[in-house]
Amino acid sequence: MPRATAKSSTRLARKRANKPAPARPVLHAADELMELAVDAAHSRNLPAFLERFAQRATRMLDARWGGVMVFRGRETDLYQAGADAVDLQPSHQATLIRIGRDARRKSETLPVSFDSPLTAVGDKDGQFAEVTFVPITASDEESLGCLCLIRGRGTPSQDERHLLHALASHAALSLENFRRFSQLERSKRQWVEDIDAISDYIVVHDRSFRIVRTNRSLASYLGVPPVALVGDPMSSLRQIAETRSELPCPFCRDTQQAREEYIVASPERIFLVSTSRTPGVSDDDTRTIHVLKDMTDRREAERRYRELFDSIQEGLFFATPEGRFLDVNDAMVRMLGYDSREELLRADVSTHLYPVVAERERFFSALSKRGVLRNYEETLRRKDGTLLHTLQNITAVRDAAGKIIQIRGLMLDVTEQRTFQSQLQRERDFNQKILNTTQSMILVLDTAGLISYANRRAFESGYLEHELIGHRLVDWVEAGQREDFEAALETTAHGHQVENIELRVRRSDASMGHFSISLSPMRDEQGAVNSVVVVMTDITDAVLLQAKLAHSEKMATIGRLVSGVAHEVNNPLAAILGFTDLLLENPAIPANAREDLEIILHETQRTKDIVQDLLSFARQRPVQRELVHVNAVLRQTIKLRSYDFASHGVEVLEEFDENLAHALGDGQQLQQVFLNILNNAYDAVQEVGQRGRIAIRTSQQGSNIEVAITDNGTGVTDTERIFDPFYTTKQAAKGTGLGLSICYGIVRAHGGEILCRNNENAPGSTFIVRVPVATEAATAAAIAKEAGR
Amino acid sequence: MSTTPILTSPILLIEDEPSVTAFLRAALERRGYSVEDAASGAEGLEKLGGREYSGVISDIRMPGSVNGAEVHAWIQQNRPDLCTRIILISGDTANSDTQMLLKQSGTPCIEKPFRVQQLLTMVEKTFGKP
Repeated sequence: MPRATAKSSTRLARKRANKPAPARPVLHAADELMELAVDAAHSRNLPAFLERFAQRATRMLDARWGGVMVFRGRETDLYQAGADAVDLQPSHQATLIRIGRDARRKSETLPVSFDSPLTAVGDKDGQFAEVTFVPITASDEESLGCLCLIRGRGTPSQDERHLLHALASHAALSLENFRRFSQLERSKRQWVEDIDAISDYIVVHDRSFRIVRTNRSLASYLGVPPVALVGDPMSSLRQIAETRSELPCPFCRDTQQAREEYIVASPERIFLVSTSRTPGVSDDDTRTIHVLKDMTDRREAERRYRELFDSIQEGLFFATPEGRFLDVNDAMVRMLGYDSREELLRADVSTHLYPVVAERERFFSALSKRGVLRNYEETLRRKDGTLLHTLQNITAVRDAAGKIIQIRGLMLDVTEQRTFQSQLQRERDFNQKILNTTQSMILVLDTAGLISYANRRAFESGYLEHELIGHRLVDWVEAGQREDFEAALETTAHGHQVENIELRVRRSDASMGHFSISLSPMRDEQGAVNSVVVVMTDITDAVLLQAKLAHSEKMATIGRLVSGVAHEVNNPLAAILGFTDLLLENPAIPANAREDLEIILHETQRTKDIVQDLLSFARQRPVQRELVHVNAVLRQTIKLRSYDFASHGVEVLEEFDENLAHALGDGQQLQQVFLNILNNAYDAVQEVGQRGRIAIRTSQQGSNIEVAITDNGTGVTDTERIFDPFYTTKQAAKGTGLGLSICYGIVRAHGGEILCRNNENAPGSTFIVRVPVATEAATAAAIAKEAGR
Repeated sequence: MSTTPILTSPILLIEDEPSVTAFLRAALERRGYSVEDAASGAEGLEKLGGREYSGVISDIRMPGSVNGAEVHAWIQQNRPDLCTRIILISGDTANSDTQMLLKQSGTPCIEKPFRVQQLLTMVEKTFGKP
């Protein structure tokens, strides 16, 4: 109870002061002690107080010099009074302090031997040899300091000793109080510093919503010193963040709650407001403390993260190892065809997303083993059941024990690429097949006309790779048509397609073929023509066939025409011939008129022959289908003309294949054909004037019987036109120009063909007649018919 | 030849071409045959229903509803007496229908244009002398 002790000492001093005092200082001492107590209670400055204390003690005890020593660890502070009276040198002070520090327990007046004499100021003779020391001791017996007096008049009296104790008690009390106070000050200052060091904004307000305190962060945010805000209404802080609170404090919501925590947002900033309310002893003491934590950056980071998470085109997900999504982004929802994030979060990954549940197990075991899966290909099932091809990058999150606790992944939709890829592959295969199986040669030329590619067909046609690749295609074109080809190539190089030009091109066996050629430009990315695709089709056979078809069509039309004309001509002819005959029968006709009539008769006869030929040509007499031995027919035919041949020195050579199969046809008609050809040959060799020779050769060529009749006559001017009706090279009146046309019609009706060509390296021409060999079935049928007749 | 009975009835000539009719009539009448003519098949059939004829000479191809083949068929059906006394004239014996008719019936046919002698020979042989 230091305070009580001190008080009692004071009371004691007072009591003493109230007693009738024998000496003035004692009466004076009571007032002094009261003043001292008042001074101690109000003093905030310890050194000044201690100096005043020293003066007061000096005065009260009538000393020449007084000092208060305060111990601070090993240091000692000395506060003194009477320095004008005593010449106290530092060495004296040191001596006093050393003794003072030893005087621990009780006050005593000691003779002190100084190193040098301690004298009064201005009086070197009077020396001070005794000093009174009064220890200042705290209530817990700690030695706080020492009161020290130099009086120069002997040992203090009993009253003076009581007074000294009272003074020492006062000093102890004051020192203790000062020490506590300064500790309090220090800790308070420390606390404020600590609060100020907090970057969160802190504001404390009272019940009437007036600011009691703010920390430095808040003040500096508002640009004022912290104290400036004290006493302001809380509403002045609305500028920090606009809240919808209707209370005078923008951060209070429910003043009945001891604690509150919520987020307020201003356009610029977002705060987490934590509020604590401390109920005071009285209502006035109630304090509300708001701590505003600026979340703006964190929220912004979170917002950015969320935005990125949702806006990214790749699917992102967090999932449990059991196969539930914890979070998925919008892309993921879209990719899997779900209506909402919530719907997808409800889905069970194994059964809903995996077409085969075992696949999910395979995935999980791969992830367990490796921890990370890069470009993991997985086929998943969309909500509507269609398949989704994905490429995933997965990371497993493990706990301390290594158990997977979460799966994080990024997912790419590669369905389109996959589909595109397989489509591309199919298309490529398809194109390759076309290229390789087409009956056309397909070549690619560079802009210089050099062949850079040839398809399989080109090589199957017999061309060798080294003949084509790197060579100019134009060199294969017939010399006379190269300009046409170059022109077409030029047109294509300018980006235009050239379709179906017909050119004669040298085949690999050096024969010339008739080709239909199309050229298409191929462009690079910039649209410039960088190569030309040439499609070449050998249409030689087609051209021949077409020519034959056109010819037979022509013949049929002429046939119908001729038939009609011939018939109409026959009526007037009948009248002319008939009346001429009747006139000639008349004996009264004069001789000269008779001659004229003879001419009419002759010419009419000739006309009749022509019409007869025309009708033969045009007649649609069906071919009799019977087995024909071609050699026999030929021999019979030759016999018909053998007299003429022999008499005109025309040699006939028979080169017959005696094993010749039967033909199926009309022997009479075939005889007409052979006779016609023989007649032509006879005429041709007759014209030449040298020894005529006609060779007749028969052979079987595949399914045809071929008869070749070769003469060494004049040859044929136009082998193509020779079968046309009315085409004749013979002099007028010698032929109608229908003979070979009739032959043509007959052979065609037999399903065969007739053609004519001039002999190579020899004069004359060769007629070839081909008629089909009778099939076994046809032969059997014909024999049966023969037997039944 | 002398045994051939003298024809008392005329020969019916069915021919659409007037010049041919004229020549035939001249040739036959000059030889002593009497001739009656019809310018179409229909007219010919009408005449055939009216009187006796010693024979019929008919063109095969004629315009109108009745051609020579039909005249021939009618006679086969309705005038058995004239069955073997028909001569057909054709401008186109190569015609397949004509060939078929001639082949099946064995009816003699003379092809236009023909000489007077050819005609008379065939008429005498088929109908007899006038």
